[in-house]
Amino acid sequence: MDLLEVTDLRVDFGGLRAVDGLNLNVSQGEILCLLGPNGAGKSTTLDLICGKTQLTSGSIRFDGHEISNIPEFKRVRYGIGRKFQVPSVFKELTVDENLQVARSKHSGLLQTLSKFRHRHSPEIERILELVGLETRRADMAGNLSHGETQWLEIAMLIAQDSKLILMDEPTAGMTIQETDKTARIFESLRKTHALIVVEHDMSFVRQVADRITVMAQGKKLAEGTVTEIENNEAVKSAYLGH
Amino acid sequence: MTKKLKYDLVAYALFAAVIFLAVPAYLNFEGYELNTFARYLSLGIVSLALALSWGTAGILNLGQAATFGMGSYAMAMHLKLKSSQGLPDFMSWNNVEELPWFWVPFHSLSFTLLAGLLIPASIGGIIAIFMFRARISGVFVAVITLAFLVAFQLLVIEQQGYTGGQNGLTGLAPLTLLGWTVDIYSLSFYYLIAACLFVAIMIGIYLVHSKFGLILRAIREDADRTRFFGYNVASYETAAFCISAALAGWSGMLYTLVLEFASPTYMSVSFSLAIVIWCAVGGRESIIAAAIGAIVVNLLEVRLSDVFVEGWNLILGVTFVLIVMFMPRGLHGVVAGANDWIARRKDSRVSNAKHSNLKSRPEIKGGQ
Repeated sequence: MDLLEVTDLRVDFGGLRAVDGLNLNVSQGEILCLLGPNGAGKSTTLDLICGKTQLTSGSIRFDGHEISNIPEFKRVRYGIGRKFQVPSVFKELTVDENLQVARSKHSGLLQTLSKFRHRHSPEIERILELVGLETRRADMAGNLSHGETQWLEIAMLIAQDSKLILMDEPTAGMTIQETDKTARIFESLRKTHALIVVEHDMSFVRQVADRITVMAQGKKLAEGTVTEIENNEAVKSAYLGH
Repeated sequence: MTKKLKYDLVAYALFAAVIFLAVPAYLNFEGYELNTFARYLSLGIVSLALALSWGTAGILNLGQAATFGMGSYAMAMHLKLKSSQGLPDFMSWNNVEELPWFWVPFHSLSFTLLAGLLIPASIGGIIAIFMFRARISGVFVAVITLAFLVAFQLLVIEQQGYTGGQNGLTGLAPLTLLGWTVDIYSLSFYYLIAACLFVAIMIGIYLVHSKFGLILRAIREDADRTRFFGYNVASYETAAFCISAALAGWSGMLYTLVLEFASPTYMSVSFSLAIVIWCAVGGRESIIAAAIGAIVVNLLEVRLSDVFVEGWNLILGVTFVLIVMFMPRGLHGVVAGANDWIARRKDSRVSNAKHSNLKSRPEIKGGQ
């Protein structure tokens, strides 16, 4: 059984049908890349899965639960994590505190009320090392550079340990070396997490994608492996407009 | 985090030393002065309650005086019943024949003490649930809570037969606590209020340093992002609001004890704004600083009005404007800033020393 099953997903914004009858499956340990021209509905699809936007019709099943009508925080508790297009870390909290917020296995009120002064867990230590922020743990996240902010955000997603991570343009604004490092981190995530990645950088997509879904005007245009997609006539015409 | 906790505990110990030892000694254990100081201490609790909701969670509650008033009336109702044979005097003046049902349980002290905490918390909770479920935040919270405050004060004044109306509840009996009849000019009463303040601060410090407090700070900065880490933001905000309301109620109860009456002016807009000022002067990011802010401002008010009988309000006003303009983080901001500066200087000195060490002995590689 697939981890995520999206069936006949539809959403209307006023008169605009942003996503139109989309079907999507992601299985455990798979990296699915969503491609498509601007306005194809990629980010909206992520918003629908994580609950930021309410769907008009269709069904989203995750890990055996129907999640299309439950609030965001409950979807997160089932195991869906989200990285947004704009880097959003908590600037007035330290790097360490950011990661503690992200480690949200016990997110209930009473659980956090009874937890006083966290101790450094080996898990957080490992993640900090993975992204190379171990020397900056006590610094305010607002004082980090752009690249470091991106790492922190990825570190937070790893700390959150979701079964499915939705990433919106994870390499936007990164240098080539940074993009490579991100690709390596994705490789290490692959074993335990499924990912849906919206990305424009084709070299990055080639590196990480198990499967690609191309969207255009809210519909699925094509699906397949990297080579299949690169040789697909319909995709070529959607991108190049003949 | 750990460092911050250390600072807080040191500040707590210093502050406790001042309040428990220095102040009574300085005031020569004199009754009236001690009572006045006890009044400041009781107001410290409501100020720290606001620091908890405003400073930590970013919920600017302008209706804090309403919950304060609920606590103060709860206590006053108990003491009023104790002082009257049968029906309280103002009720018969207003042609109320029988003790209203909601007055009856206030015969019991334990009920009163619970009610003074739980009534503000639950009424605050109802408002909070409606606000935060609808994801209302920022200035709209301030407007709604302010509107509630005005409506609530009006209700209390209007229902003269049940609340004493504009006059409030006066002619109260002294409190009897476990067989000890409280004399509000005694040193032991001062210590009772001081102990309450320090228990309240302890609760505040615990909350701020728990993971709960961390999540509140995350919500203050970006509620949406916090939601996508799986936290039920509305319930966190509601909890912060309720705890703050309960602390305000506690403060109100003590305030009634100190002044021996309850008045609808405790629920006025100007009183509510005064709480915001105390909190801002002290520093809303720190529980202790907010309590100190309340004490300092009230002390200043009294001293200034002694010296400048005419213009003290003006002087106080100018002081507030200057503080908001030049010290946006309050007294706490100044202290924290100085602390950081010292730490940085120490840091740079250490790294300079290391640097020159390495230079003079090039054969040593790596950090020592």
